Amino acid sequence: MSASKLPESIADFSSRATEWISANLPSTDDPPQNPIELQRCLFDNGFAGIAFPAEYGGAGLTLEHQKVFYDLAREMGRQVPTGTGLMVSVGMLGPTLLEHGSHEAKAKFLPRLLRGDDLWIQLLSEPRGGSDMAGARTRLTRDGDSYVLSGSKMWSTGAHVSHYGLCLARTDWEAPKHRGLSMIAVPLDTGTEGLVVQQTRTADGTLGEFCEEFFDDVALPAENLIGEENTGWSVAQTLLFHERNAAANVGFGYTGWEQSSSRRAGYEPGRLEDLIRTARARGTDGDSSVRQLIADVHIDNTVVPLTSDRIMLGMSLGTHQGQWGSLLKLQYSEGAVERVRAALAVSGAEGVIWDDDEVELDNPGTSWLLIRGGTLAGGSSEMQRNIISERLLGLPREPSVERGIPFNEVIRNQKSPE
Amino acid sequence: MRLDLTEDQQAFQEAVNRFIATEVPLLTVRDLYENRLGFEPEWWQQAAQLGWTSLFVPEAYGGGSLSGSQTCDAVILAEEIGRGLAPGPFCPVNLVAAGVGASSNAAQHAELLGRLVSGEVIAVWAFAEKAGRWTTDAVQATLTPVGPAQGGLATQSAQGGHQNGGSFVLNGTKHYVEAANAASHALVTARAENGGLSQVMVALDSPGVSVKGGRSVDMTRRFGTISFTDVAVDASALVGTAGDATEAVNRQLQLAVSLQCAEMVGIADRTLEFTLEYGQDRYAFGRPIVSFQALKHRIADMAQWLEACKAVSDELASVLDAQTQDASNVSNSEAQRLAHVAKSYVGEKTTRIVEDCVQITGGIGVTWEHDIHMYNRRVVLDRALYGSPEEHKDELYMLLDSTVENIENITVGTVGAA
Repeated sequence: MSASKLPESIADFSSRATEWISANLPSTDDPPQNPIELQRCLFDNGFAGIAFPAEYGGAGLTLEHQKVFYDLAREMGRQVPTGTGLMVSVGMLGPTLLEHGSHEAKAKFLPRLLRGDDLWIQLLSEPRGGSDMAGARTRLTRDGDSYVLSGSKMWSTGAHVSHYGLCLARTDWEAPKHRGLSMIAVPLDTGTEGLVVQQTRTADGTLGEFCEEFFDDVALPAENLIGEENTGWSVAQTLLFHERNAAANVGFGYTGWEQSSSRRAGYEPGRLEDLIRTARARGTDGDSSVRQLIADVHIDNTVVPLTSDRIMLGMSLGTHQGQWGSLLKLQYSEGAVERVRAALAVSGAEGVIWDDDEVELDNPGTSWLLIRGGTLAGGSSEMQRNIISERLLGLPREPSVERGIPFNEVIRNQKSPE
Repeated sequence: MRLDLTEDQQAFQEAVNRFIATEVPLLTVRDLYENRLGFEPEWWQQAAQLGWTSLFVPEAYGGGSLSGSQTCDAVILAEEIGRGLAPGPFCPVNLVAAGVGASSNAAQHAELLGRLVSGEVIAVWAFAEKAGRWTTDAVQATLTPVGPAQGGLATQSAQGGHQNGGSFVLNGTKHYVEAANAASHALVTARAENGGLSQVMVALDSPGVSVKGGRSVDMTRRFGTISFTDVAVDASALVGTAGDATEAVNRQLQLAVSLQCAEMVGIADRTLEFTLEYGQDRYAFGRPIVSFQALKHRIADMAQWLEACKAVSDELASVLDAQTQDASNVSNSEAQRLAHVAKSYVGEKTTRIVEDCVQITGGIGVTWEHDIHMYNRRVVLDRALYGSPEEHKDELYMLLDSTVENIENITVGTVGAA
């Protein structure tokens, strides 16, 4: 878009979007449509990647337009493309590539990403550590026109069904730990030589979305490097910023709020209703402590989207700058734990025991096993609290024992006897 | 207070902030602790000139809002009052002004409204009774028709506006009446013969009225108990229609919660602000105390709660304005639901924030010398007044419960929660 051309006004966009949504998007009462197909439909009609530049397949508008589009679609009771794969690709990896990728990389990767043709994930955490991400030990070595990757990554969501992973790896072992990292795009197709992707069996006994990857001298073209060599930490910061935003449903990953949990749609979710019905069925609905717990669930369901709306407005007005997504992510994920805690309390023995003919994994007991995943993934609640207190409130940073020390030496110190 | 204030609203906020800082700084608040009324009547008239009394009064009677959104205007003021712990009968006077201003026969009370706006007289709302419950079903005081207009004819008589005295007799005792000692009039909510509610404006020097003064945990807010024994009330004293005031009373209660939530937001915002300043300057073990993660993480939680408090408090004010501007826009149960959510959440979290700030402040935080006890006083008073979070949650549960139908054969084990 040329500098002289102003973006379409919100009002014009809103009426154009309303008309298109009404004619094209399926109702939420219809059978759910494949999110990838829905995404393609948006892309082919100029409504995918609304805040991405047109030259990379986006609509060349703003995050405000994006919010208008999804809010309209939700209010009109239409299906929009959602789900972890698209949320991660479009909400997190897309904006990171946009900020740090070369023109060639963006032209190569972004249109396919925005159309839903390629799903992208992040390859950040390692078996050795999640919160201390800059301590990555996966090795990336330049070899002529290409790079060679070796090591392993863990907790990558959906790697087994994705097409690319953006991988944080160490290129300089003599530099202090944050300054020797690089970011590179790794094709995750089964054909990639030296790559093994395994699903991790989670605490509920299922093979879920989490994966572990092993790289045994995987050769990668040099143009897959995103950002300059040894600037990978800054790329990772961008990625994490968008991850917190996406987890909190703000920014590039915003896809509106389900009308059922919206404050405007009256009383919500099936789930809250289930809690009330469960309490009635067990004869505990007259118990004030049960009532207070159920009310708390409803209060959280109301307060979370309102807080998100406020912060999104603040971001567009400039009153909220920086990593407010951390605050929302903390609120949202800790609230989810409290909801399951309430479900456990309200359902009692029935929530953790079932007969053979009613095997049902979606019960409070099983949910409980995994719910802490939300307060760990994307940066633990403790990391979010560090970010809120240090970056948003300006409190002093944690003292570091590693600052300025070559990473090799940091590792040696860890290995030395106590 | 909303993030997107108009220029008028911003100027108003700055003027209020300056006025409080210069006319009633915290040192003055300390002095007023010994004052029988808790404020100086001359000062209240100054505040009235600044708009503290006029926001809910229609222009025809000398009032006027800044933006046309009267509640959003008023919460700007309420937040500043919370930040500065300003004295004065802000809440009761504005609740009366709103109740009378919105009534079908406001013109009949034009003279009193004018004197309320100028600050010359103070009228307070007498609602709660001995049990201290702020719900319409708790009203036991009675307003009974006497004389020629008996029984069902009372309503007719009221609408006809009989001026020839002694149409009703008022009996009952009202407790927890803010600023009772400073008031010349009270808007009294009482049960009508038809089982509904009526509201009447009663001069407190009328025969049969007795006012007993009292104090509260707050530095400057005084309360009282007002007894009405066979008080003769003219039909012209009715505010609205006899026996038909329940909806109006509910709106007054919702407005009370809105103003109070805004005040609590101001209290928590200011308390966290000065506690962080203190914690940066206070050293222990060679470091500022707020550099310790144990405190930083508590502070991060407080910042998250505070942001959510602001979001829900603003939403309530906006919904109440939307309801006033177009009653068909927002159902009464939606405003009611949000009022319960707001008071439950804001009441609980702001009290917790101030409490945690006392802990971070250390020993001096429980001395008379440090200002924090004054904030703790106001917030803990607000927590209880107009219903505690626990009471609002019980009410909220009943509201939710009434919307959930029973389903036969519910399988408790399938309660989803994540």
